[in-house]
Amino acid sequence: MVDRSAIRMIAITAALLAAGVAAQAFDETKYPNWKGQWVALDGNENSPWDPMRPAGAGQQAPLTAEYQAIFESNLRDLASGAQGADPTRRCIPAALPRVMMAIRPMEIVVTPRETYFMLEQFSTLRRVYTDGRKFPDDFETSFVGYSIGEWQDTDGDGHFDALVIETRGIKGPHTYDASGIPFHKDGEAIVKERLFADKTNPNILHNEVTTIDHALTRPWTVTRSYRRAEQPQWSEFTCSEDPNYVQIGDQGYKLSPEGLLMPLRSGQQAPDLRYFK
Amino acid sequence: MPHRIAIGLFALVAAFGMTIAGTHAFDDSLYPDWSGGWMRMGSGNFDPSKPRGMGQQAPLTQEYRAIFEASLADQDEGGQGSNPGYRCRPHGMPRIMIAIHHMLFVTLPETTYVLREVGTQLRRIYTDGRDWPANPQPATTGYSIGKWIDDEGEGRYDTLLVETRGLKGGSSYDSSGLPMHKDGGAIIKERIRLDKANPNVLHDEITTIDNALTRPWTVTRSYTRNRNPSWVEYNCSEDNHHVVIAKEDYILREDGLLMPVRKGQKPPDLRHFQQR
Repeated sequence: MVDRSAIRMIAITAALLAAGVAAQAFDETKYPNWKGQWVALDGNENSPWDPMRPAGAGQQAPLTAEYQAIFESNLRDLASGAQGADPTRRCIPAALPRVMMAIRPMEIVVTPRETYFMLEQFSTLRRVYTDGRKFPDDFETSFVGYSIGEWQDTDGDGHFDALVIETRGIKGPHTYDASGIPFHKDGEAIVKERLFADKTNPNILHNEVTTIDHALTRPWTVTRSYRRAEQPQWSEFTCSEDPNYVQIGDQGYKLSPEGLLMPLRSGQQAPDLRYFK
Repeated sequence: MPHRIAIGLFALVAAFGMTIAGTHAFDDSLYPDWSGGWMRMGSGNFDPSKPRGMGQQAPLTQEYRAIFEASLADQDEGGQGSNPGYRCRPHGMPRIMIAIHHMLFVTLPETTYVLREVGTQLRRIYTDGRDWPANPQPATTGYSIGKWIDDEGEGRYDTLLVETRGLKGGSSYDSSGLPMHKDGGAIIKERIRLDKANPNVLHDEITTIDNALTRPWTVTRSYTRNRNPSWVEYNCSEDNHHVVIAKEDYILREDGLLMPVRKGQKPPDLRHFQQR
């Protein structure tokens, strides 16, 4: 019996060898080796979107007057102790482009038709289609949007070295960073990215991110960079809402040490309890 | 034994092929075609062949049976029992394999990824031959090691065997709150393969070994394939209507006002507010 099986397996082996590796082989050598675990060069949950500039107003985001006023109001709100406009404080995922700060690790998985960005923060999954498709006429918006990418061989050495991505259909609420720099409410932002490895260090990846949005007076380009971990360890991200805060309708409240509701600001009214008898 | 021979020869073919081509080509024809989106068949009860709640006949120990009965009683009163998912805590293993929304498999030689819409919880199933790490960080999805086998002896892999350890304790199998032991010592073994008669049906035979059980509990979940799924993002926190104040659960209505979850529930204590 073993002999018969062995003979059958040898026949199969011969057939596979005859077919060669051409069948449905995915030639990874055409693509850059971005395997492993990538994490932001520096920063944390409160880091600014543009790592080259100070947080808050120091970011010099090219906001329209209307959205600059919204941003300044948000900064005052934060200064008063409120949560501000940052939706991640309520465990709403960091949308694109903010999630690409990668303050927690990310993995990039390349397949011929799609490239996946698996981000630990909020367990976010980005699916970037590289199969040559066009943007569909109609698609459901999401926090990561709908992304189409194209691999490029910029130095002509026969291997792809850059991934160019365009993302549309990004859902709100979302902000660029914890300071609450706002996007336009129309949800029409377009985010263009260009990912490429550092020319001198293959363990550094750069992402040139350009955002085009009606809340901006011009496209805003920021470069985020990531380093590859030598010994990757993955953690599970479980968003924990602020245990001292609760949102009821459009009002936020503090919770006292014993868990009782407290006003967040002077003169704030108690929640309406009309549905209790 | 024949299977070992087959896999050994696959390795030879792979090595030889790489030598010929001089590349790191990944021959995905050696793996089953699990492309597309996979959605649950049957009910959302963990064992889809049995009714919800006690009807699941889970082989719980006496202690955990009492916990489960309390959970069901609480749910009958409008509470959430021991279902951790209602406040957006990740469902974890094995519950996520119910696949109430689409899931996607991405197979590479060293890892098979299971990507899911719900809560976007990612499973990495390592198939690179690694051993268990000394101290895996507990996670609701655990740490999974898999092995591809050629069960049919047809010269290609058809079945993925997975073992998962390192789970966080206190999960539930489904929304009824059917509890897992709090010690996080559960081991979950899976056998995933396509239906022999219908390649658009996938089966996952899931065996859970847990200290809250009197014996291993085996359940088979099945999924149907959508070749062109429309992927939908689902984030629990985005529209969660449960609010906890002083350990009491309340519901937020569409108009943003609090309401009780059970008859006769008292309102939150407002002693820190000035009287209107």
